[in-house]
Amino acid sequence: MAEAIAKHAYTGGAHAPVKKATFELFARPTAKTGLVGWLTTVDHKKIGMLYGGFAIFFFLVGGLEALLIRTQLIVPNNHFLEAQTYNELFTMHGTTMIFLAVMPLNAAFFNLLIPLQVGARDVAFPRLNSFSLWVWVVGAILLNVGWLSHFVPAWKFGGAPSVGWFGYAPLTSKAFTPQLSTDLWVFGLQVLGLSSIVASLNFIVTIINMRAPGLTMMRLPVFTWMALVTSFLLILALPAIAIALVEVMFDRNFGTNFFEVSGGGQPILWQHLFWVFGHPEVYILILPPMGYVSEILPTFSRKPLFGYPIIVFSGVAIGFIGFGVWSHHMFTTGLGNVATAAFALATMAIAVPTGVKIFNWIGTLWGGQIMTRVPMMFALGFIWMFMLGGFSGIMHSAAPADAQQQDSYFVIAHFHYVLIGGATFALLAAIHYWFPKFFGRMVPEFWGKLSFWLIFIGFNCTFFPMHFLGLNGMPRRTWTYDSNMGWNEGNLVASCGAYLLGLGIFTYFAVLIWSFFKGKVAGNDPWDGRTMEWSIPSPPPEHNFAAIPTVHARDAWWYEKHHQEEIAQERAEHIQAEESHGGIHMPDQSWYPIIAAFGLLIGTYNMAQLHHPVEMFNKVIFATHLPLAITGLCILVTACYLWSLEGPGGYHLHIAPDGKVTESRGDH
Amino acid sequence: MSAPATTADAGHHEPSKFHFYIQIAMILSVITGVEVVLVYLPIAKWFVVTALCTLSAVKFMFVIFFFMHLRWDKVFCTILFFIGLVLAGGTMWALLHIFGADASKPLSAAMLETAHLAIA
Amino acid sequence: MNSHAATIDHHHDATTATGIPNKKLLWWAFLASDCMFFGALISTHLVYRLNPPPGNAVPTQIFNIELTSFSTFILLMSSLLMALAVNAIQRGNVRSTRTMLLGTMFFGCLFLGGQVFEFTHFVYVKKMTLSNSIFGSTFFTLTGTHGTHVAIGVLLLGMMYVRTFKPAQGGGLLLNFVHLLAVCVTFGVAFIWFVPGMIEVVYGASFSELLREHAIPFAAGIVGLIALIALGRTRGAVEFGEKNAIDVEAIGLYWHFVDIVWIIIFTAVYLLEYL
Repeated sequence: MAEAIAKHAYTGGAHAPVKKATFELFARPTAKTGLVGWLTTVDHKKIGMLYGGFAIFFFLVGGLEALLIRTQLIVPNNHFLEAQTYNELFTMHGTTMIFLAVMPLNAAFFNLLIPLQVGARDVAFPRLNSFSLWVWVVGAILLNVGWLSHFVPAWKFGGAPSVGWFGYAPLTSKAFTPQLSTDLWVFGLQVLGLSSIVASLNFIVTIINMRAPGLTMMRLPVFTWMALVTSFLLILALPAIAIALVEVMFDRNFGTNFFEVSGGGQPILWQHLFWVFGHPEVYILILPPMGYVSEILPTFSRKPLFGYPIIVFSGVAIGFIGFGVWSHHMFTTGLGNVATAAFALATMAIAVPTGVKIFNWIGTLWGGQIMTRVPMMFALGFIWMFMLGGFSGIMHSAAPADAQQQDSYFVIAHFHYVLIGGATFALLAAIHYWFPKFFGRMVPEFWGKLSFWLIFIGFNCTFFPMHFLGLNGMPRRTWTYDSNMGWNEGNLVASCGAYLLGLGIFTYFAVLIWSFFKGKVAGNDPWDGRTMEWSIPSPPPEHNFAAIPTVHARDAWWYEKHHQEEIAQERAEHIQAEESHGGIHMPDQSWYPIIAAFGLLIGTYNMAQLHHPVEMFNKVIFATHLPLAITGLCILVTACYLWSLEGPGGYHLHIAPDGKVTESRGDH
Repeated sequence: MSAPATTADAGHHEPSKFHFYIQIAMILSVITGVEVVLVYLPIAKWFVVTALCTLSAVKFMFVIFFFMHLRWDKVFCTILFFIGLVLAGGTMWALLHIFGADASKPLSAAMLETAHLAIA
Repeated sequence: MNSHAATIDHHHDATTATGIPNKKLLWWAFLASDCMFFGALISTHLVYRLNPPPGNAVPTQIFNIELTSFSTFILLMSSLLMALAVNAIQRGNVRSTRTMLLGTMFFGCLFLGGQVFEFTHFVYVKKMTLSNSIFGSTFFTLTGTHGTHVAIGVLLLGMMYVRTFKPAQGGGLLLNFVHLLAVCVTFGVAFIWFVPGMIEVVYGASFSELLREHAIPFAAGIVGLIALIALGRTRGAVEFGEKNAIDVEAIGLYWHFVDIVWIIIFTAVYLLEYL
């Protein structure tokens, strides 16, 4: 066993003498702090924090966009916003919240938690992980750069994207949206997809291959299981939208006819390809939150999770069936009776594993010693609100009823219950729950609970009335409405609720910032947790574990707390075995992931405006952007080539018996 | 080139699959030849379609199990790949059925068909 | 660099929880993802073949099935050479690996050259462009995306080939970079100008005219080829060895995958049209 541990993770190449590094373009960065340290980091915890920081920034931006939308709708015949600005706002609100807030927040937790929960020192491919992060940043820039043209007229992007987050053809054709903003949207989503696929491949390998000894698949924490299922959904769903986006890009730039009716194309194909991706995407957003909740509920009920295998199986089933329900977004397009019936049935079927999970969570609570700390409050809110969203979802699965609800505010109410009441509540619970682990400080209970109640009440005031607005016929994406439609009160309540929700979110994050500086210092294990991340110091050291743990039970850390002697002995052996093999091997930082991402930025930014001349100082330099796009591509390829030559590198850490960590490089 | 490796420790290596790979490649080429000939033979259409699909599937399996080593690797690799393959195949099948249904026929194509019928 | 290379087990990696090497797992997961990618693309093509609009191109009048069958054969042979490259490196034979990698790239270029010829022929002789019919749109996008995959494969193989010359000790990055450049130029010229030109010659064009027409790229290609031969003669200990078998095998997986996608495209896009 000790042998296997010593060879675990990065120590495989430990015997190779580390050669003098002369075969390189730049010296490998070694700074652990400061700007260089963050830009070149391969540490999964730092990458997770960067994901989290960017995601929270965009979460607040998306929230601000939502508040502007609600302000426009607060009274009938309002002219607070231009209609075009309104289109840009709802497009970017959806795109931002899905791709730039919830997905990267989940990615942040994948990065922070997966290696800790599987007992590894880092992810399987640390430099690839850094690449995913910076590629994601490139996508975020491409999507949002259009806003600049509202402030700097010289940047002629035609505003932010305004085609809706789903970009239905033929709205995306040059005839209807000639602006560059749509091209940037296409490339932005494509790049974000690339980032997600690369990151997911990394997580799949990490979860399957980097498990600590004794950690069988059926002992994996549920969060890690859900991360695995989500990663599979990402790698299998994103290619569909990648193709759809390529086709739109070709239609716009090279005159193909994929979605041009006059040339024999069918716009409906876009909807199919989009939802082949889009529906699994819904589960990509909600499965990780189901994982957080499955970690939080047992901890605060002081009981193991009820029905672990069934929860895992249901998660896998949701993921699988999720690929067979996409056309329920398109019932009103006239699919034919057979297809409509089949997709309606599959949609009803997917409610079953979801319901099974909810019963299991309730089973976990049942008979437990429930401690209503803030993460638990959000988790309980999740169960209730997510159920409400689920119920209206089942209403949609009945195709005839859906025909009445399609494109109305009822749908808005439904998916906000699922995505705020579900995903966001769980994410807020998770941030609160793991904050002490990664920042070493507690968030005050009172302010946390206050923010919970503000968010809970604000959220329900905003979205509950939308059910009625929708059934009264208010269409989605409507810029303004007449006062005689009977929608005035509902919209007023919803907008006031939105302000309250905004206040709650503001309180939540303000308290986090305060806690970061002034919060009570948390110990290693403030909640009496069950999983491996609570066994190590807060914040975790760069090598995570002094000794790779051996996992003896599903609630591994609870087991260890009750078998301290056995574990202490085991740990000492592991540390000794690893030290005799040269110490803890850590991967080196690298410049190439961020340089490759930079090349991608140059390439895609210029590809998006391919047919426009390049102007500088009022002079046309190139007739098209092709030379610049090729330059970006060359930077990307060169960076990848140097990356492959540089090798993973690495250095060793040695832990003295008093816990002091020393670093060694080169021959040992 | 098929001669044992020049390094001194060649004896420890697993046996070379050189001749085996050549045989597989020959089989694959022959199947491709048969496929091309098949489409020109005056036999029932359903038979040709079935034969073409089967032969392609056989080629596919030969490549993934022998050239891509699935046969000698852990079965999990096979499962992993087939998850993607089955979902992709299922999605294709469903899309073809949806677009093949009468409800999905574009008006231009439908008009073309009636025009042909009228001429006939 | 690794003296105990002989003990490497290429089918079991003791450092991972499943025994499957990390890189192999990554590539198989990626190929699963790529199945969906090509699944969506082939679906697009076939969906638009179900109910062709009036005035659509007629595939059987456009295709040149002899050439495509030959291309298919070429791609299958490149797969064979790729499998042999992996076989060679697993036995620690770096020189044979290099030969096989170059062979794979050469056959890849033959295939790509065939595609370049096919595309030019369709556009200029058969008058089917990317934009003048839906068949053109879907056909060129599908086979073009596949061709891009092959081209990326050739580039990756080229990087791998050049990497086998990385010296065990000391520098030489610039030389290595020049070597990669030579690979790119040689194979680029081969598939963009030389192979399509040779196919034209087979179909009756004049060879001397071909030389005159593309004198500059051919000159560049010859310079690249000479550089390739000169740099390929480098002696001295290299870092690359049996321990890198997994890297070659990973690229091999990608290459074979591109081959099986072509097997499907050949049947679904070409052969079925002839019924």
